[in-house]
Amino acid sequence: MTQTKKKRTSARSQPKAAPQKVHDAAPEAIIEMRGVVKKFSNAAGEFTVLKGVDLQINKGEFVSIVGKSGSGKSTLLNMITGIDHPTYGQVIVNHNDIYTGVSESARSKWRGKNLGIVFQFFQLLPMLTLLENVMLPMDYVDLYDFDERPKRAMELLTLVGLEKFANKLPVLVSTGQQQLAAIARAMACDPPLLIADEPTGNLDTRSADTIIQLFEHFVEQGKTVVMVTHDPSLTSRTHRNIILSDGELIDETISRSLPQLRHRHMLEFTKLAERRMYQPRETIISRDDPIKHFFMIRNGNVEVVLQKQRSKETILSRLGANEFFGDIELLRGGKSIANVRAGSEPVEVLMIPRDDFSRVMDESPITVEAVTKIVQKKLDEHRMADPRKRSRE
Amino acid sequence: MNKPLIELKNVTKTYSTAAGDFPALRNVNLDVQIGEFLGVVGKSGAGKSTLLNMINGVDGLTSGEVIVNSGGERISVHTLSEDEKAAWRGKTMGVVYQSFQLLPMLTLVENITLSMDLAENFKPRESRERAMELLRLVEIEEHADKLPAFISGGQQQRVAIARALANDPDILVADEPTGSLDSLTADHIFDVFSRLANERGKTIIMVTHDVSLKSRFTRCLTLVDGELQDEVPADAKPKRSRKQ
Repeated sequence: MTQTKKKRTSARSQPKAAPQKVHDAAPEAIIEMRGVVKKFSNAAGEFTVLKGVDLQINKGEFVSIVGKSGSGKSTLLNMITGIDHPTYGQVIVNHNDIYTGVSESARSKWRGKNLGIVFQFFQLLPMLTLLENVMLPMDYVDLYDFDERPKRAMELLTLVGLEKFANKLPVLVSTGQQQLAAIARAMACDPPLLIADEPTGNLDTRSADTIIQLFEHFVEQGKTVVMVTHDPSLTSRTHRNIILSDGELIDETISRSLPQLRHRHMLEFTKLAERRMYQPRETIISRDDPIKHFFMIRNGNVEVVLQKQRSKETILSRLGANEFFGDIELLRGGKSIANVRAGSEPVEVLMIPRDDFSRVMDESPITVEAVTKIVQKKLDEHRMADPRKRSRE
Repeated sequence: MNKPLIELKNVTKTYSTAAGDFPALRNVNLDVQIGEFLGVVGKSGAGKSTLLNMINGVDGLTSGEVIVNSGGERISVHTLSEDEKAAWRGKTMGVVYQSFQLLPMLTLVENITLSMDLAENFKPRESRERAMELLRLVEIEEHADKLPAFISGGQQQRVAIARALANDPDILVADEPTGSLDSLTADHIFDVFSRLANERGKTIIMVTHDVSLKSRFTRCLTLVDGELQDEVPADAKPKRSRKQ
């Protein structure tokens, strides 16, 4: 556990944006979902749980998936683990198309070697000790020499801090410890991908924290962790937070830019948003132009620039991914107060039409409050950076 | 009278904590006969689960003795080594808990054959046949090849009961097996246990905090602060507080 703890401290002390680095190098997809639709039929008729999900999760990412009850979270996980089948669409996990021409038993073996799975209720066999429970998957997929299995299981129990309890039955350890043992078991065959469905849903905050630290440790070692949760304190610790609303994915730029929005509004914005690319230094908004959109930055940086005739330009601020602009004018009315242009790299933005933005803001006072705070902060920054105003003070 | 199947003699279990010693069971004496469907009720912390753990030898006792007469053997459970205990438990007792703990990646029938394969009591060919028979007994055979995720909680608990019966134990020990089920489903699960006692001659010891079930056991014990109360229906006695 000491080793894990050491790693944890370092992970925590890094600035929040650090894990994003994974996107810099050419990312290697470990999960790809293409047009995944899942329909269920029951006595009441047909019900579409997933409505065409496109999703890529890259190797080494720590991803949380959230959504209200019934939004399709567990169904989405079931598509990735191969527990359930999509009605349409393709799921590629670790370079394997898991539904095309694969028998159930072949998928089961494949799953045993490629996926570790953890559920809310730990599913430890009550008549086996923790050590025996951890050895079970190795027996099942016949991985590792027979004699090597107890040693490996013990190493995993040591990693999760349960070495002293290895020979105890699950009923004699706490629920938090049972979940740790279930995680050790999920990692028994050293899978590249760990899938967890509400792994902390049944635990107190402290045990939940231990489990997230463990996941962070796996991610540092190059594993990919995908976790369904509805605990916001956990989503803040993942690299990416994917939100499902009514069977559809919300654009991550929107959810990160305006986290206070209701999911249905985020989904509305996802459908309304227009994507546009700007080349380096290309003007996005000119000063004194009427503002027709609310802009969110998907990739790259923009510069907010004040250009007075005959004087040198002043860069009032730089904004990066998941930040927004156009807000000051839309909330306060009026024309653009400065030029906004792409930085030294191409910029991709999402644009929401002014009227739609205003309508949703009218329904979401909490977002208006948050955006207003950011507006005020920006105005203060601009004032500090503006040479004319500075000289007057 | 036949020799009791299970005998508890002056069983005491004390847990040592930072705050001092905590007596979970005090001097419990109990005989359980073959075919009994025995309920154990009491408030949270009264010692119900500890009592089960003493009977199946999952946890060690502080003093006293637990004797189980099963399979022609008279076993003093707590004198066995851990390995001996595990082997003895595997053939003598099935366990069912509140959470069903089925392995999510195995079908229902595989969940049951796994238990048999682990205990090596049956040949692999026999074990599937037997697993199907057990699924039939708990009335869930039509779902045999499904994964646990696709059946309801009540159905999962039926499978867990079938799994507990995998190695044909004489005794079933169940700790709050209906605790996470709605009342109608709980009722059905209760019927399954009743039938196992009545028709199959299994001896069942079930812990529950649901006192409304009391009348459905062949006998019901009440634990208060680690002590067994007299076996008189609770409502026939004047009410008394825990502190008395």
